[in-house]
Amino acid sequence: MRVPLERKVLNENDCLAAALRERFKRNGTFCLNLISSPGSGKTALLERTLEGFDPARRVAVLTGDIQTDNDARRLARYGFPVRQITTGGACHLDARMVERGLEGWPVDDFEILFLENVGNLVCPTSYDLGEDARAVLLSVTEGEDKPLKYPATFHHADLMVLNKIDLLPYVPFQAALACENARRVQPDIEIVQVSCTSGQGLDVWRAWLEARL
Amino acid sequence: MSIAAAVLDAVRAESGLHGGAHATRAGLRIGELSGVEPESLRFCLETLVVGDALEPLTFDFEIRPWTRRCRDCGLEFRVLDYNPACSACRSPRTDPAGGAEMELSYLELEEP
Repeated sequence: MRVPLERKVLNENDCLAAALRERFKRNGTFCLNLISSPGSGKTALLERTLEGFDPARRVAVLTGDIQTDNDARRLARYGFPVRQITTGGACHLDARMVERGLEGWPVDDFEILFLENVGNLVCPTSYDLGEDARAVLLSVTEGEDKPLKYPATFHHADLMVLNKIDLLPYVPFQAALACENARRVQPDIEIVQVSCTSGQGLDVWRAWLEARL
Repeated sequence: MSIAAAVLDAVRAESGLHGGAHATRAGLRIGELSGVEPESLRFCLETLVVGDALEPLTFDFEIRPWTRRCRDCGLEFRVLDYNPACSACRSPRTDPAGGAEMELSYLELEEP
């Protein structure tokens, strides 16, 4: 007997994510899910972002890694609440990990919550974390064709942050081609170009964030 | 592997909703933009099923294409060569439609 179904495989994750999204919306929290390959600069971008915030701002970070709390220690120096989620092998964050990571925190009070996903351009794509927006980072030491090689990730992103642009004079990376590739996969994607070393473009990135609050 | 585990949880839940009947075959609908590589998923599923109460269970994959819908002519078209423009009227004004699916589409259950 064949029973037709339309059950989403990640239904449970999606339900938890929907509850998180509703909670963020109710409290006016803007939640951003940051996705990239390992080493594209997610933590560096967050360091520069936190560094630029007035200490009175209500900003928090959940940062995911397979092992170590190195990123949380790096980010905690800026005085904002930061927690590490150590996935113990899982190559992505899921909504359950985020829900647990938020336990005991005054989430209702946050204006911005950053979710730094595990460095991976594949698996995080499938897992809704309840975020309001998804940003994918690409650095100029990677290939311009990353959006074409990982279309699912870029297709689901609202923003592409092209990072390490201070290195453009030293690498054969064509920024315009990378942007064109991202727009082929996701015509509505917004793009900001930054360097977390020189600070170039960070004002545009901050303006993008502030416009969402 | 965690997606494969979620598939098997979904099979268990749906069999439970149908009186606990044993499922012999599960249909999966996987979109080209789901972020899932079907052959890797099949390998993980077959590995997890061995020795499990779900055994014997086989899987049938239906791959769904990456599509967009044209705002001007209404056509839902397949995206080829990453070209987001409408394949009929060439309009660049198109929206995401299909390809992100990751669903359990059917179960074949043994008759009680």
